[in-house]
Amino acid sequence: MSPEVPFAVPGFGRAFWVNFQMMFKEEWRQNVDFAKKRHIMLFPAMLALVTMAITIGLRFLTGDTMTDAGLDTLQQAEKSFTWDELKLGLHLSLFTFALGMGSFAFIGRTMVSQRGGGKSYLLASPALQPLHLTPVYFAYYCKEVAFYLLMILTPCVIGMGMGILVGAQIGIETSLLTSSLPVVLLCMLLTMMQGLALSFFASALWSRGRVWVWVLPVLGAAVGIAAATDFIPVEWVVLGLNIQLTHDFSLAFPAFAGALLLAWAGARLVPEDFELQVSTRDDLFEPIHRRLGWLGNGPIRILVAKEMTDMLRSGALLKMLGSYCVPLLFLLGLAWLADFARFPIPFNLLSYAPFLGFFGFNFYSWLNAVDPPDFYNNLPVRVPQLLRAKIIVYFLMTTWISVLFLVFMAWLLDQFEDLLGALLVMLANSVYIVAFAALLMGLRPNKAIFDFSAMGPFYLGTAVPLVMLFLLSFTQGDLSLYANWQAQVRADGTSAEAVQMELEERASVTFEYIVYICAVLLTLAGAFLLLIERRWGKAAFEN
Amino acid sequence: MAEKASDGPMVEARDLAKRFGDFIALHPLNVEVHAGEFFGVFGPNGAGKSTFIKLLTGQLAPSRGGAKVLGISASKDPQAVKANIGIVPESESPPSYLTAAEYLEFVCRIRDMDDVDQKVAYWLDWFGIPDKRNTMCKDLSKGQRQKVMLASAFIHEPKLLFLDEPFVNLDPIYQRKCRKWLLEHIADGGTIFLCSHILEVAERLCTRVAVIDHGKVLAAGTIEELKEQGDETLEDVFIRLVGASIEEIEGQNEEE
Repeated sequence: MSPEVPFAVPGFGRAFWVNFQMMFKEEWRQNVDFAKKRHIMLFPAMLALVTMAITIGLRFLTGDTMTDAGLDTLQQAEKSFTWDELKLGLHLSLFTFALGMGSFAFIGRTMVSQRGGGKSYLLASPALQPLHLTPVYFAYYCKEVAFYLLMILTPCVIGMGMGILVGAQIGIETSLLTSSLPVVLLCMLLTMMQGLALSFFASALWSRGRVWVWVLPVLGAAVGIAAATDFIPVEWVVLGLNIQLTHDFSLAFPAFAGALLLAWAGARLVPEDFELQVSTRDDLFEPIHRRLGWLGNGPIRILVAKEMTDMLRSGALLKMLGSYCVPLLFLLGLAWLADFARFPIPFNLLSYAPFLGFFGFNFYSWLNAVDPPDFYNNLPVRVPQLLRAKIIVYFLMTTWISVLFLVFMAWLLDQFEDLLGALLVMLANSVYIVAFAALLMGLRPNKAIFDFSAMGPFYLGTAVPLVMLFLLSFTQGDLSLYANWQAQVRADGTSAEAVQMELEERASVTFEYIVYICAVLLTLAGAFLLLIERRWGKAAFEN
Repeated sequence: MAEKASDGPMVEARDLAKRFGDFIALHPLNVEVHAGEFFGVFGPNGAGKSTFIKLLTGQLAPSRGGAKVLGISASKDPQAVKANIGIVPESESPPSYLTAAEYLEFVCRIRDMDDVDQKVAYWLDWFGIPDKRNTMCKDLSKGQRQKVMLASAFIHEPKLLFLDEPFVNLDPIYQRKCRKWLLEHIADGGTIFLCSHILEVAERLCTRVAVIDHGKVLAAGTIEELKEQGDETLEDVFIRLVGASIEEIEGQNEEE
């Protein structure tokens, strides 16, 4: 006969609900911990304001103003985005974001393996408490959905509503209707839930090892290519987009249920594994350190060697390179689309180069997620030194990919004459953005996502040069396009119309303005690297 | 569903072993702990004590053999085991971004307990940290976090406790208070399975001990049974057992 067992394992409902509530609290505190509360509150406020501005400007994007200007339908289609293209852009960005954020099985594994370290999270609580993983992971998924709904989707839709109201007040009729807002929110929520669930399911399946380790990436790439080549219509994959395009609401219930079911299946598939691997490895640090002689004999060389050892040992390198390469594949897809679908924008090699730097932020975030830096507090090193080491590692690990990518794009677009300029833009933008991220967010870029005091300047500081370089790329330094625009506006004010004009031949093109901007970015990057000392010089190692 | 108490072992390990790749963390061992016992596992750092406790509490799956806790298989139904025991891990902390009170509330609500507020207040008070109830766990000192972990293991008053180095970060006052409480728990019919390398704990508390090193049980029994000579201290016993073991391994290395 067995001894007395008076306590029962909690049912799914209680385990889910208790975890959901506490996890939401945990998430909020984690964000507030990095930034002040008002900065967190400013994030949705600013998001609403930005969305409001975009909503007011929607009619310019969709070409409604051109109809007023007397352009025929064909001309209008060539010079503007259609509503469907805007919806595609909105849902694809949201879907990609959700896919990137939804790998909860990996996140959970990291939390379990680090639970004996400096930080502990509720996702690791089944190690000690009588909890099955399914309700805990499902609660984590629902918490993420609720948090993004609160912090991103709702402010966006509120901003749209404000845009409609303000537009009406100042006499600019927006193309969006108030009655559409609940539909937009519903569809965006579905896209978000579906992306998170898909990524969660895939990460859980991948965590089970065996064939899934290679089947899943192949399957993901196949679906991505099939969607990009229109072999499978994108709206078949992204169901929120489907509903927004067709207004077929009969799909809504099964689609929401499907996303929840997929997330639940993901939660079921997470392996019940609290094992901390005990493994021995040959010394990697010394060989790497030896190869970094060009960094001198100071602490930076040691820190770079440690960071690289971490990346190789943890197996995170593949994920990190993946996080850098996936957006590049997206750019490749965009190049293909621009070429074949005749986008109304003259994309060229220089248009893609600034984005490479922008994607560097992903890699920098990963770099800070590999190993908690708390132990450095006991060593004679300082946070700015580690930040600089991470920037060096970023360049060592990604520059060759960016260079290869630009060479490949130059070949694809047959624009080798612009390669040198593109490399300059890529390098200047990369060093600027990563130095800026390090200055603003230090060792905690992952926690700064909802901190307006960090993300506000970061968005502004990166978007402005990005847009400038992007726009300048269309004329490759020839500003006659903008001179023409200025002349039209000066002559006719807000009634200015688009007119036919011939751009000068490329032979006359100089990269003068692009080079100026790159020089400014490099100078700013240098200044940021110096300011890192001032901002983080006395900070503790914590992320 | 509650079952009637019986004389069956509270903890039973049969041929229980654990291997991590090529590394053998725990060689096959057999152990039984009965109701009312204060059983201690002692050994030097890296001896396999924490692995042993994790296997018994269903946190690790065995490579061989199995363990039953309260008659429930630890590998087949770890949640049922965890529902009926209290665990204090060696190095884990309460969730960093919950306050001390919130973590205890979380534990109570997961375990579907009544009078949550009173119980949380009682244990925070018992451990002398009522002023820390609204402090996030990441901002507590190591000792305070250890107190929260101890409170989370005691709060549902389980009959069986698994404690891994429970006193390491506690100040002497609370070490003494906890020792007293644990002895009262035993007197009330509770059972404790404790891992430590602090021999003083064994001498003061344990009714039976096992000494392990390099994943092997070197000796087991009451403290008196382990002592070869009457005037031998437990430290002498420990050094004799573990020292011999180290010599054995050094000898093996030399042979290789």
